[in-house]
Amino acid sequence: MTLARIRKWNGPTGILLALCALILLFSFINPRFASVENLQNVLFQISVPLIIVVGTTLVVQMGSIDLSVEGVMGAAGMAWILMSANTRTETDFGMWAWVIALGLGLGVGLIAGLIYSKLKVPSFVVSLGTWYVGLGIAVLLYGNSMLPTLTNDSLARWPTQLTLGLPHSFWLAGLVFIAGLIVSNHTHFGRGLMAIGNNEAIAIANGMPVDRYKMMAFSLAGLLAGLAGILATIQLGSGSPDIGSGQLFVVIPAAVIGGTSLSGGEGGVLRSALGVCLLIILNNGLVLSGVDPDYQSGVFGMILLIAVITVAWPHIDRLKVAK
Amino acid sequence: MTYQSTQFPVLKLTGITRSFGPVKALNNVSLSIQKGEVLGLIGENGAGKSTLLKILAGIEQPDSGTIEMNGAMTRFISPYDALRAGVGVVHQEQSLFTNLTVAENIAQQMVEKHGRARFGVQDWTHINQQAARVLQKIGVDLDPKAIVGDLSFVDRQMVEIARAVCVDPKQGGTPLIILDEPTAVLEQAETEVLEREIRKLREFSSVIFVSHRLDEVLRICDRVVVLRNGVLTSDRSTKGASKDDLFQAMVEDAPVKTTRVRRPKKSGEQPILSVKNMGKTGRFKNVSFDAYAGKITAIIGTNGSGRGALVRSLFGAEAFDSGTLEISGQSVTSWSISRAIRAGLAYVPAERKTEGMIGGYNGIRNIALSRSDQFKMGPLLNLRKMKQSAQHWFDRLGVSPNDIHKPLAAFSGGNQQKVVLAKWLNLPDLRILILDHPLRGLDVGVSHTVNAEIRRACDTGLSVIMIPDTIEEALELADEILVLRDGQLSARHDLSIGTGLSIQEIMAEMV
Repeated sequence: MTLARIRKWNGPTGILLALCALILLFSFINPRFASVENLQNVLFQISVPLIIVVGTTLVVQMGSIDLSVEGVMGAAGMAWILMSANTRTETDFGMWAWVIALGLGLGVGLIAGLIYSKLKVPSFVVSLGTWYVGLGIAVLLYGNSMLPTLTNDSLARWPTQLTLGLPHSFWLAGLVFIAGLIVSNHTHFGRGLMAIGNNEAIAIANGMPVDRYKMMAFSLAGLLAGLAGILATIQLGSGSPDIGSGQLFVVIPAAVIGGTSLSGGEGGVLRSALGVCLLIILNNGLVLSGVDPDYQSGVFGMILLIAVITVAWPHIDRLKVAK
Repeated sequence: MTYQSTQFPVLKLTGITRSFGPVKALNNVSLSIQKGEVLGLIGENGAGKSTLLKILAGIEQPDSGTIEMNGAMTRFISPYDALRAGVGVVHQEQSLFTNLTVAENIAQQMVEKHGRARFGVQDWTHINQQAARVLQKIGVDLDPKAIVGDLSFVDRQMVEIARAVCVDPKQGGTPLIILDEPTAVLEQAETEVLEREIRKLREFSSVIFVSHRLDEVLRICDRVVVLRNGVLTSDRSTKGASKDDLFQAMVEDAPVKTTRVRRPKKSGEQPILSVKNMGKTGRFKNVSFDAYAGKITAIIGTNGSGRGALVRSLFGAEAFDSGTLEISGQSVTSWSISRAIRAGLAYVPAERKTEGMIGGYNGIRNIALSRSDQFKMGPLLNLRKMKQSAQHWFDRLGVSPNDIHKPLAAFSGGNQQKVVLAKWLNLPDLRILILDHPLRGLDVGVSHTVNAEIRRACDTGLSVIMIPDTIEEALELADEILVLRDGQLSARHDLSIGTGLSIQEIMAEMV
């Protein structure tokens, strides 16, 4: 059966092979690549996009898209640092800072989900809007130009500290990833997203709570982008409205490279996570191989194009309309 | 209370009537089905079959009449009600999630949630066991964990049936499984699998089997009812019934009058379009025919006979994968819509609103849609010329209202069809006009105009290839009738050398 074979190639097997090949290639070019320090560094870099991509995948699986990631990260990260011990404000809400900042991310996602599901506005446009709303909130909070820096040293060191050889950042991301796997494979909500992505009309006709699932997916994506924003802020040690800059162009390609079709119904959290690993390792390996950084964008883009073509290939039809 | 099911018919319809505007799609239809019975439901396209099925599935409500399930009076306000009452429908179009597993698809139909499922947790063990049970009950050997998209068509059909069987009638009543044209796209061997399945189903349920293949109906069903123009014209046992008996109940026996003078083919005349052994996997195969200038070729067949795919392949809207297509003696390669139009082909699609026109555009722009180069003035569009040509066609075809500036979506279906036709007739070098259900949904007056325009086009030397809505239409208009059955030409009739064909004869070749 050709379809099954093609799916296998798009699935974890194909991307795992690609990942192994890359790792072998880079360790061959530069032995320093396979060093423990560098691998720990790679895992540190993977953490933030890995958290985001779990949410992105849930949204993309149902055939929608969430572009708001960078804005939400900025808003949540900024809100969190201003409410924690920092060089600019006197306030330190401790745990409440986390609750409020994460709630902010969730709220922005929920609003996007509401507008998308109830007003039937394309998610592309809605999340483009919430992206800038989030960014606006971050800039407002930033206000004057004085950079808020973390004063709590133990917290600032936390992301890079190791437990069992793995950086804490990665432990956090790993937990999110496992939770994402469970939600997407073992709940009606997760399977429902796949069903909506495959055929929304049938999902509605089957009495599935389609609108609720859409709102939940966007809320979760917002929550996770918020968490990623906070983690990135701790990693950096100071707050910045564009803390999420560049992440969108990691997570969307990662999902697609993993075989999550942008038209929905295919792929999964595991594959997207592998996609993130592939892109970050590629980035790290290219640097260590001494490739001119100027070439890296081009290489990234080409890999994305190849991945998209591979995913779309089985569905070619002359009268099919792609938008 | 289980004894009830043996006393009462599983389903009893009394005086079901449903109208759409002035048209009575169903007129006082009454029928009943006993436990374990397989009832065949047949009728021509538009006889009211699908309306009846929609009422049984709770998608539409009757204007009057009653429905009894297992002896209890019911009303199906929504598909959910029908499900609860024990009506499981396998629709003509499959409605499965192709990216999910067999078990997940079956579980979609489960109305009640048990145990962990109530909290939104996907209990894989439970749904897999449940699916395995249902599949075993209907005697199908499928892996519940298989992805539906990887299954063959007939296996997917089995999943649909398994889903339908999951309906759970209260108080031990008998479920009713409705199969809507389940064999339309199946191969011979697959059909046999399905037939075996239906015999299995009757052990615990009743079945309504809708099909256009009469021999199948006679073989599979115990009883058969025939609909004609919304009226039940026959309700009889299949014992001792012949195909002819069923035809007579299906078709009104009025002589077809032809109004067109056919000219016999001149010897040595070259065909303008020639199809040789054309095939497209799963749609049609080995089709060969010629079309001549000034002649009308009608292609008839049932839904799913491959007629639509065939004409779309001629126009380049679908790719065919074997055989050749010759236009004026020249074999075409890498055929596409734009090449077809350049070669002088035009296609009036059956899906007028989605493929034939742009609703937000007015008549001027719609008529100038294809080959807009004829309206060019340098790199710009010559709006005055576009208006002139639109006005010309609006006048000639009597488009009403006669307003070339009004968006086409605001016109009635018949007037939209006139504009679609005008768009193609306006092509400067049109030679072959392909019409797919040109009269679909049109009233008598507009049909007359469209028909007159088809004849006129033919008289000016165009070759017309059409899929007519009815056999009468084919007999009335065509020079040659090609009958397509299950993707292959089953007969061809040259009407220019005397007619004498009856509708029933042609029907027999279709099914």
